[in-house]
Amino acid sequence: MTKANMTRRQALKTAVAVGLATTGPWWLVRGSHGARAKKLVFWQLPNFTPLADQLQKEQVYEFAKSAGLKESEVEYATVSNEGFAEKLAAALEAGNPPDVARLYESNVQFYAAQGHLLDVTDLVDKMRREPKGIFDSSLTAVRYSGRAYGVPLAVNPWPVHARVDLLEQHKLDYPKTWDEFIETCMKIQSPPRLFGFGMCLGLVEDTTDNVMNLLWCYGGKMVEADNKTVVMNSPENAAGVKVIEAMFRTRKIIPQGAIGWDNSGNNKAYQSRQAAFVMNPTSIYAYLNQSDQDLQKRTGLFPVPAGPKGTVNLIDTWAFGAFKQNPYPELARGLISYFMQPANYDKIIQSTGGRWVPVYKRLFDSPFWKSKPEFKHFVSMAETGVPVSYAGSPTPAAGEVLNTHIIPKMIQRVLVDNWEPPRALEECHRRIDEVYARNRKV
Amino acid sequence: MPRTTSGTRLLFRWIGNGLLLVMLVWTLVPFYWMMATSLKADQEIYGFEATLVPHHPTLAAYVRLFQQTPFMKYVRNSTIIAVSTTAVSLVFGCLGAYALARLRFRGRRLIARGLVFTYLVPPSLLFIPLFAMMSALSLVDTHQGLILAYLGFTVPFCTWLLMGYFRSVPLELEEAALVDGCTRLGALIRVVLPMSLPALAVVAFFSFTQAWNEFLYANVFVNSVEVRTITTGLTLFIVEDVFFWGPMMGAAFLSALPPLVVYLVFQRWVVKGLTLGAVKG
Repeated sequence: MTKANMTRRQALKTAVAVGLATTGPWWLVRGSHGARAKKLVFWQLPNFTPLADQLQKEQVYEFAKSAGLKESEVEYATVSNEGFAEKLAAALEAGNPPDVARLYESNVQFYAAQGHLLDVTDLVDKMRREPKGIFDSSLTAVRYSGRAYGVPLAVNPWPVHARVDLLEQHKLDYPKTWDEFIETCMKIQSPPRLFGFGMCLGLVEDTTDNVMNLLWCYGGKMVEADNKTVVMNSPENAAGVKVIEAMFRTRKIIPQGAIGWDNSGNNKAYQSRQAAFVMNPTSIYAYLNQSDQDLQKRTGLFPVPAGPKGTVNLIDTWAFGAFKQNPYPELARGLISYFMQPANYDKIIQSTGGRWVPVYKRLFDSPFWKSKPEFKHFVSMAETGVPVSYAGSPTPAAGEVLNTHIIPKMIQRVLVDNWEPPRALEECHRRIDEVYARNRKV
Repeated sequence: MPRTTSGTRLLFRWIGNGLLLVMLVWTLVPFYWMMATSLKADQEIYGFEATLVPHHPTLAAYVRLFQQTPFMKYVRNSTIIAVSTTAVSLVFGCLGAYALARLRFRGRRLIARGLVFTYLVPPSLLFIPLFAMMSALSLVDTHQGLILAYLGFTVPFCTWLLMGYFRSVPLELEEAALVDGCTRLGALIRVVLPMSLPALAVVAFFSFTQAWNEFLYANVFVNSVEVRTITTGLTLFIVEDVFFWGPMMGAAFLSALPPLVVYLVFQRWVVKGLTLGAVKG
């Protein structure tokens, strides 16, 4: 047996190869931040109207030009909702996130908590100093530890989309209370072709939104304003859950298939004219504007009916976020500031055809918002609306409750597993409490 | 007795044909459904009853697809990326597999085993470090970057599969070629590859469909329309919680055609390769 001997040259070559192979990736990643070719990168989520997308793109390039950038130094990317989280996660890990991105409500809290977002309190304060200011409700979503880490871009109300043609046909008014709502549904529905209420009851986020919106009207809530005390297991919530149970089981105004719906289930039910009422953002209205104007003409947008504790409307807020890990933070802040100049902003808002509700109060003075009766309730909704985490703030813990579908599971315990509401609420309370306790430790 | 045998054969033939029919329907129905949906108006798609045949066929979805979206750019990008990935995978796969199957060198077994492990690492674990490297090398948002990323999982698979196949090619044929004056590369090209057409067809088809259908890397590594592929372009037909089914189904139907064509092309080669009958007795 012969022993294989290496020459000094071979040993040196091997050492260099091993060294490069093991440390190369680290050096590459380390250098990634500086390797970025673009000075201004903007990530946009697709809008319903191509005009809104086009205007936004133009504004990015207008700002870049005014800031002395060449077109080749600007990147405007449309990122789909579906892959946004993975894409941003990779970009953040690589130290190469976009300068500015449009974020949903829970995104701002999530990335702020991780220290990825720039403090933009000064930009928000500037917006508040505009005549009439901005809706305070829009600030809840962007505040984290007393500072603003996002600039509110638009309010997203969740009105009841209602078939006014059916109401007129039956000579009925839009119901003022949930009791009236159930009676109205019973009168106008004709199952299985048409159900009264397309309430989302699947294991998805929209179910949490729909269920909590109704529970608030009965005095229920998930957590107190201190963001610590979970109050899910309450008589008020039990009363609200019993109403949902009655709607589903005895009054049968909700289709049985709603148990398996995804987030688009209630959209489809309304768009296919199989539900007379649904609670959803105005994405349905925007879709109808583009694809089914006949149904749009038959549709009204209303606040949710009142319960024993009155009417509470759900809103969420979209925001612009500027990421810390970029070499040109002033450009990012400048771009957001440019977007939010009321004149520029109003153009985009109007181009969305009502899908984006402005955060500046004075923009509601424009004839655009008085042009359609459907927009009538938007001001009051934006003024008094609350986030899904109400009475708490949209904290990371609230985001986890939403994303892990704890409340949809609770309602399915009642509707599918036949649990009594107090028992289902007790389990739900315990799980939410665990989430909040864990997040407090973090 | 002969009657009974004939009856049994007939029975098996009918059962076989029945099974084939079920598989045919199973395979074709999704294609048909995509095509039918793309030809329906929105009101029909969202209608109370699902219709098998479009009541009022319309090309509105295709008009939107071709006139209002950069669908043809997505097709171009997917084609560039899938064809390049396939070509490079074949070249590297063949060379690597031949070396591992025929040459004797230190670390050969380790490399061969390493190939399997490389292939087994799920893309969801790799996309973040890969993105960091792409970013550092300025390969983000480029065709080359995406091709390189796809080679990461197509080359190991191609090499592994071809390695097994090359081992089954009789060594004597290569030795004869070497004696006749061929180089190693000549023997590979003139003797081994022509006898390995079935395996080459399989790996080519695998590489093409992997690159054509891949979503995660395409989503993370690409930002601009100039590089975006069909898979990520399709998701832009979902706006918030609303699905634009017509154009989405139209795009999905059209994007399913190229892999089908590639399969049909390579299928002919597979049959040809199998019937070459290079070694007898």
